Amino acid sequence: MKILVTAKRVPDPEQKVKFKGNTLDQSGVNWQLNQFDEYAVESALRLTENASSGNARNGEVIVVSLGPKDVQQQLRSTLAMGADRAILVDASDENLDSEIVARTVQKLVEQERPDLVLLGKLAADSEANDVGQRLAGYLGWPQATFACSIEVTDGGKALLVGREVDAGVETKKVTLPAVVTVDLRIVAPQAVKNGVTAATHAYADGPRYASLKGIMAAKKKTIADSSLAALGVAATVRAKVASVDAPPARKAGVKVASVEELVQKLHNEAKVI
Amino acid sequence: MIDFTDEQKMAQRMLRTWAEKELVPLVPAMERGDVLPYDAMRHLIRSFGIDEMARATFAKATPGGDTNAGGERGFFGGDPALSAIVAIELSRVCPGFALAFGASLGLAGGAILAKGTAAQKKRFALPILTGEKIGAWAMTEPGAGSDAFRSMRTIARRSGDGYILNGQKTFITNAPFADVLVIYAKLAEPGQSENERPIHAFIVEKGAPGLSLSKPMEKMGMHSSPTGEIFLSDVCVAKSALLGETETLPARDRAREVFHGERTGMVPMCFGVIDRCLELSVAYAKERQTWGKQIGEYQLVQEKLARMYMHRENVRNLLFKQLEKAHKKVTISAAEASASKLYCARVATECALEAVQIFGGNGYMREFTVEMMARDAKLFQIGGGTDEIQITAIARQLLSE
Ligand SMILES: Cc1cc2nc3c(=O)[nH]c(=O)nc-3n(C[C@H](O)[C@H](O)[C@H](O)COP(=O)(O)OP(=O)(O)OC[C@H]3O[C@@H](n4cnc5c(N)ncnc54)[C@H](O)[C@@H]3O)c2cc1C
Repeated sequence: MKILVTAKRVPDPEQKVKFKGNTLDQSGVNWQLNQFDEYAVESALRLTENASSGNARNGEVIVVSLGPKDVQQQLRSTLAMGADRAILVDASDENLDSEIVARTVQKLVEQERPDLVLLGKLAADSEANDVGQRLAGYLGWPQATFACSIEVTDGGKALLVGREVDAGVETKKVTLPAVVTVDLRIVAPQAVKNGVTAATHAYADGPRYASLKGIMAAKKKTIADSSLAALGVAATVRAKVASVDAPPARKAGVKVASVEELVQKLHNEAKVI
Repeated sequence: MIDFTDEQKMAQRMLRTWAEKELVPLVPAMERGDVLPYDAMRHLIRSFGIDEMARATFAKATPGGDTNAGGERGFFGGDPALSAIVAIELSRVCPGFALAFGASLGLAGGAILAKGTAAQKKRFALPILTGEKIGAWAMTEPGAGSDAFRSMRTIARRSGDGYILNGQKTFITNAPFADVLVIYAKLAEPGQSENERPIHAFIVEKGAPGLSLSKPMEKMGMHSSPTGEIFLSDVCVAKSALLGETETLPARDRAREVFHGERTGMVPMCFGVIDRCLELSVAYAKERQTWGKQIGEYQLVQEKLARMYMHRENVRNLLFKQLEKAHKKVTISAAEASASKLYCARVATECALEAVQIFGGNGYMREFTVEMMARDAKLFQIGGGTDEIQITAIARQLLSE
């Protein structure tokens, strides 16, 4: 199976955000791979290896990203995890919106002809959650979003995708080629079954660590450069962010003298009881 | 080299993530002695494919031949920067864990890789590198520490084709739970005075009749690293247990090489401790307020931070010099290794104690990492040759030149 995976770099969510007027100041940001994209890479690797036989590769994983040159670092780390090669489309975050990203991935899909496109369900910075859906629409491919499990079925012609919905787990069958976006439980020990690795195999929970050998091997793997122009994607940003504001500072609380006063305040002021 | 390469930095980021995610949650239980460090060691080895790398180097080695096959290269693919990064990242989180790991793979595994026969490397070093077995390296005795060679009482007597070992070792890292022990002993030759007796290393396996291993000793720091005693009472070993299987090259020189390794190996551990203490101290100095000001605004606190920073930069420079020399295969003189270890050990202790000071009462509480760091750092001034022994070694070389 040939899989295209998208990967975006996002600011470390643990880091305090800084503001410059009504926009974010990203000058001192520590960048890292969007967690859901890391999970997508992990799922892609699990789909294309035989974990019962020394993780022998059985397919190809191509990781694509849109961003500045520095994103090479995050792409390199996915190659170290085991992905086969990467494509970096030169762009800056300010000049991108979900439409441009989805159109770009569409072009790459047309070039690479993968059997499956795996995406994180959302990027931790914008939380837009729409590239996968748009991409499936543009391609006219079936889609399954928020996957918590993936199982290869029909001799590799389709996937059974589990989705955690309010009432329980819904299973969707999508015929390949397809677009799947992954949720966090996709990296559970037995969430991905590719029909090659023994069905009883249990992975360590979470995305794999790049092995030292993998890190050395990643040095020799290619990260191909591309651009919106080269792919023929119109670079007009149509989604405009009106403003970004910090959450209001928390107001100081009040001390109450008695239980009666507390009850009275909860009832009359907070109106919660 | 003044910095790690991009690949090495990636390895460092992965190890930091591993340490924060997998090791940090275990530290309190390991420090209390409720959990041993060995499962986490195996997890580390597996997660980063250290086992796979070791197996690959051994598989490449020509079967049966060449004693150097799978030599030093078995360890992190032969990249000393990678071993340094592992030591730094583990020490940043738990120096005791780093010590247990280093004593098994670096000291015991390293001694066998450096001097063992091809068969010994395959049988004993490989399982240590893959984490299947835990190694211990035993030199120190109750009556022989700084003067380990001179005062060693553990003795090997020839018996048929093999040897009989008698004696006692103490303060041995991993001894209570070790599977493979590299034990130094004097070979008793008739008509030789005790001082002339050559010293050899023997590989003894857990369960050998006459071998007993103590429970972990209670100590000041490095609680995550079990330390114990070894008792040898008529332990019979075959000729194949003699490290290198030859009596012609006495082990004194070889053990000195391991001492050398122990000294240079401590530099990255010291760096890890200082780096973490500085990081924690800067964060605390920005957060803690007295008289309505961050304590970092007081010059007395600033001086501590600046000194810690200065020491960290010096230790970092020493580390990169050492790595550059290792990379270029330039030998480090005994005085140079001693001076490095002496400086790094002293400033690691100083920085960790100053970190406790910056944290005030919190710094004295077990809940705060700097409390552990301060107790752990003291070991650097004792293990691998005390400060005084390093000073003596430096002076000896200076005055003999
Ligand atoms: C946690 C821990 C782990 C250890 N792990 C191992 C291990 O895995 N394997 C192993 O073999 N050993 C290990 N050791 C032992 C360690 O290497 C010794 O403790 C160390 O070499 C010092 O020896 P000693 O304790 O006998 O001190 P001593 O030699 O008794 O020294 C006592 C004091 O006298 C000073 N002194 C001694 N001689 C001189 C001199 N000539 N001039 C000036 N001052 C002198 C010393 O510097 C020291 O201050 C470990 C120790 C500890 C604490």
